[in-house]
Order: sequence, then C-alpha cells, then structure tokens
Amino acid sequence: MYVRPFGYTRPASPLEACEHLRRDDGAKVLAGGQSLLPLVNLGLSTPSLLVDIQSLGDLHGLHLEGEQLVIGASTTHRMLERDAQVRRVAPLLAASVREVGNLRVRNRGTIGGSVAHADPAAELPMCLIVLEARYLVDNGARVRSVPAADFATGFLTTRLAPDELLTRIEVPAAGPDWGWGFQEVARRAGDFALVAAAAIARCEGTLVADLRIGLAGVAPRPVRCPTLEAAARGRSPEALPELAPLVDPDIAPSDDSFTPAHYRAHLARVLAIRAAQDAARRSLDVRAA
Amino acid sequence: MTDATSRITVNGRELECRAAAHLSLLRWLRDHVGALEVKYGCGEGVCGACAVLIDGQAVNSCLVLAAQIDGRAVTTSAGLGSPSGGLGRLQQAFLDRGAAQCGFCTGGMLVTAAEFAGAGEALDRRSIRDALHGNLCRCTGYQAIVDAVDDVLRDQGSSSPPAGGWT
Ligand SMILES: Cc1cc2nc3c(=O)[nH]c(=O)nc-3n(C[C@H](O)[C@H](O)[C@H](O)COP(=O)(O)OP(=O)(O)OC[C@H]3O[C@@H](n4cnc5c(N)ncnc54)[C@H](O)[C@@H]3O)c2cc1C
Ligand code: FES
Ligand code: FES
Repeated sequence: MYVRPFGYTRPASPLEACEHLRRDDGAKVLAGGQSLLPLVNLGLSTPSLLVDIQSLGDLHGLHLEGEQLVIGASTTHRMLERDAQVRRVAPLLAASVREVGNLRVRNRGTIGGSVAHADPAAELPMCLIVLEARYLVDNGARVRSVPAADFATGFLTTRLAPDELLTRIEVPAAGPDWGWGFQEVARRAGDFALVAAAAIARCEGTLVADLRIGLAGVAPRPVRCPTLEAAARGRSPEALPELAPLVDPDIAPSDDSFTPAHYRAHLARVLAIRAAQDAARRSLDVRAA
Repeated sequence: MTDATSRITVNGRELECRAAAHLSLLRWLRDHVGALEVKYGCGEGVCGACAVLIDGQAVNSCLVLAAQIDGRAVTTSAGLGSPSGGLGRLQQAFLDRGAAQCGFCTGGMLVTAAEFAGAGEALDRRSIRDALHGNLCRCTGYQAIVDAVDDVLRDQGSSSPPAGGWT
C-alpha cells in the first residue's frame, strides 16, 4: 500500500496523452487501473507518470455502426455486460465478460485495458480473436488498424508502441445463424481462468459449415485452433469430440506452481470441444426456430 | 503533477482532497478522512475489504487513486444508514442475521450488496452468492451474509425464489 511516488496527469486529447508518453520513458497509460495498480501496489511496476485516459470522452461507450459493434477502449467490462445490443449482436462477449474477476473489477476495468495488458488467460482478448475484431491504435498523428489476432505478441506484450493509445475495438456482428459457446475452468470464482475456450459456429442442415475456436491460458497469448476448425467442417456436432487432439498443434501450455502443463492441455481439448458443440447447437436452434 | 487537488464527496460531505498524486483512495479515506470502516486486506483487488461505492458502483478503493475521482461521490459502509440517522436496511439485516463476526469484511460486503440492492435487480440466492464472490470472509462461512442480503432484497420485492425453491 506504500508505493513509490509517481506523477499523474489527465490529458485533454489523445495527442496530448501521446506527447506525455513520448516525453517520459517511465510514463504509462492509466485506464481502469485494475491490472496496472495491483502491479504498482506490489512494486512490480514503478512508473514515473500515470497518464489517465478516462478524461478522453471519445474513448467511452459503445454503439452499432453498420454491421459492426464499435467499443471505445475506455468502455468498462460492466457496460459490456449490461448492454442489450451486445447481448444481441455479440452474445459471446456478453457471456464471457461475466467471468472476468469480480464485480468491482468489472465496474472499473476497461476493455481497452484488458486488450493492452494482454494477459494470456484473459477472456475478452481471446473472444475478440474468435470474432475477428480489429483494434484502432492512435499515436496522436496517425491511426492504424491492427487485426486482433496479430495484436498480442507474447506474455503481456503487444504491438502497441510506447507512445500509442488503443482507442477503439471494432467487432463484426455475427450473422443471425451463428451460434456461440464459452467454457472456462478457474480454481476459484473470480480467478483468472486456468483455461478458457470460446467458439462461434454456423451450421447448414445438421452439419457444421463454419467453426472458429479460441483458447486462453495455454500459450503466451490467446490462440485460434485452425487445424481443429478445418477438420470440423461437414461434421455433425456429436462427431466433434474425436477431433479434440487437434488442438495440440496450436497450444504450448507451461507448468506453474499449481497446474502442470499436461492438465492445461487436457482442459484445452475438453473445453474447446464443449465450446464448439455449444456453438453448433445454438446455431441449429436458431435455424430450427 | 505530483500533488493533486480534488473535490470528493464522502458520505454526503464534500471534502477537498489535497494529496500526493500516488495516494490511493483507500489510504486517503483511512489516513486523511478517518474512514476506518474501509479496510486494507490485499491491495490487489481480490479481497473486497476496501470496497466503497463511487457514484453507486462498488469499486476497489485500493485500486483507485484519490486524484482520479475529482467531483465524484464516495459512499462507505458508514454512509448506508437510514436518513433519520439509525441503521440502514442492509446494516440492520446484517445485525439481525449475525452476519458479522470479526467485522473485517463487513463494510465491503455491505457496499457491494448496496450496489445491487440499489439497482433493484431480481436476484435469487445463487445470484447473490455470485455477486458477492469477490468479497472474502474468513469468519462467517457466508451463509448468514447471504441470508441478510436475501432478507433485504425480498423485503423490497426484488428477490424471487428460483425454480427449485430456496436452498
Ligand atoms: C482481482 C482481479 C481479478 C481479475 N480477474 C480477471 C479475469 O478473470 N479475467 C480478465 O480478463 N481480467 C481479470 N482482471 C484484470 C481486469 O480485467 C483488468 O481490468 C484489465 O485487464 C485491465 O483493464 P484496466 O482498464 O483496469 O487497465 P489498467 O490497469 O489501467 O491498464 C492495464 C495496462 O494496459 C495499458 N493500457 C490501458 N488502456 C490502454 C489504452 N487504451 N491504450 C494503451 N495502453 C493501455 C496500461 O498502460 C497498463 O499497462 C482481474 C483483475 C483483478 C484486480
Ligand atoms: S484491499 Fe482492496 S481488494 Fe483487498
Ligand atoms: S466477519 Fe470476519 S472476515 Fe467476515
């Protein structure tokens, strides 16, 4: 609770925020503070200046823009959880966000913060690669768009330059005949997932026509499972379990003090299939309705 | 800036907070305002002992800087009393149900429950447990806490029995 002192500033524009980040090597963006401030309190991060982006109004809130859901980086987990549009056009996000931390963490923690922090077990960055979202990144002079799948480069590291802000997240709305599935195993309620899996699927007739699967907690960054996705096409949902070993080429779990890598790999196989089956069944339900 | 001045309302009183920029809301409340009902447990957002409401939403005061909440209203568990100065409904229910033992978690439990009681959400016992899962209690075994919150939600008509009845 006694931390190394740092400065604090509330910039009036993204440009001003980026100038602070450029001028001061030790400056860090502060969003909801639910990942950064625990690190600061533990002495694991010792910034010289926190640049609080909560004052940047354009980064708040979410809305539909044509066929996509646009989420400002400063939108909180709680807003995503409670928004009726999100439940309709991105039900996978609405369901998975409920598993993030506890109520207090979701009340302050932001979607942009979760993506920029890039915890390999975080739910939303994984779901966003399944939904093939894009991230807009701004350095005050130039805005670029990065596909979610290319954003995280490893454990807590991303393609963000030190002077760049993540400003918005663009999520293509899933078509009406897509179903979703989300599965997670954590040691205790509110903990980060040991492994989480997300899937979306579209069926034609009784068979899977399209399937996308993502996993978190089994590699230094969230992964898709292209081998399994390809093999699932043309199969019935009941025939998916035999494909479980096909997640193996796309994961690289490691041991930690509580969880051996082989257990994470086991969870990955089981949860990927369960999420895929849930997604396929929901797609069939929509078609039946 | 290394010092920050903000105006923060605490339990209805508007205060000026002149403090080092790195001061957490938790430390400001305890060391400067004397709000000792707000407890320091972990400093990592895990235990919930430091929970307060900011504009009605439960937050970890250990993970918010006082400088960040200029112009906002903070409510601690001591601010949940009835307008006439007696105990508020949640406070009374905790007392009636024996939902506090050592009391360390109680303030955080009360304000977290106050957020969803205030929102008038319909919650069954399972959802109450779910909403409180980020608040750790080492004494009570949680049963009496869930009972107390359940009493209040039922009284205000926003709690309804789950399909299988009350557990
Ligand atoms: C007890 C606890 C449990 C948790 N459990 C989970 C969980 O189960 N699943 C999960 O996914 N997360 C969990 N979290 C983390 C939580 O989701 C965080 O809120 C989130 O990861 C970070 O969001 P933030 O807005 O708080 O970011 P901050 O903590 O403010 O920032 C995090 C990092 O991102 C950078 N950053 C933030 N916003 C931007 C931006 N717009 N542009 C550039 N850089 C930026 C910051 O500089 C910092 O490095 C938990 C946290 C706690 C305290
Ligand atoms: S002290 Fe803030 S959550 Fe534990
Ligand atoms: S009453 Fe002692 S921790 Fe809850």
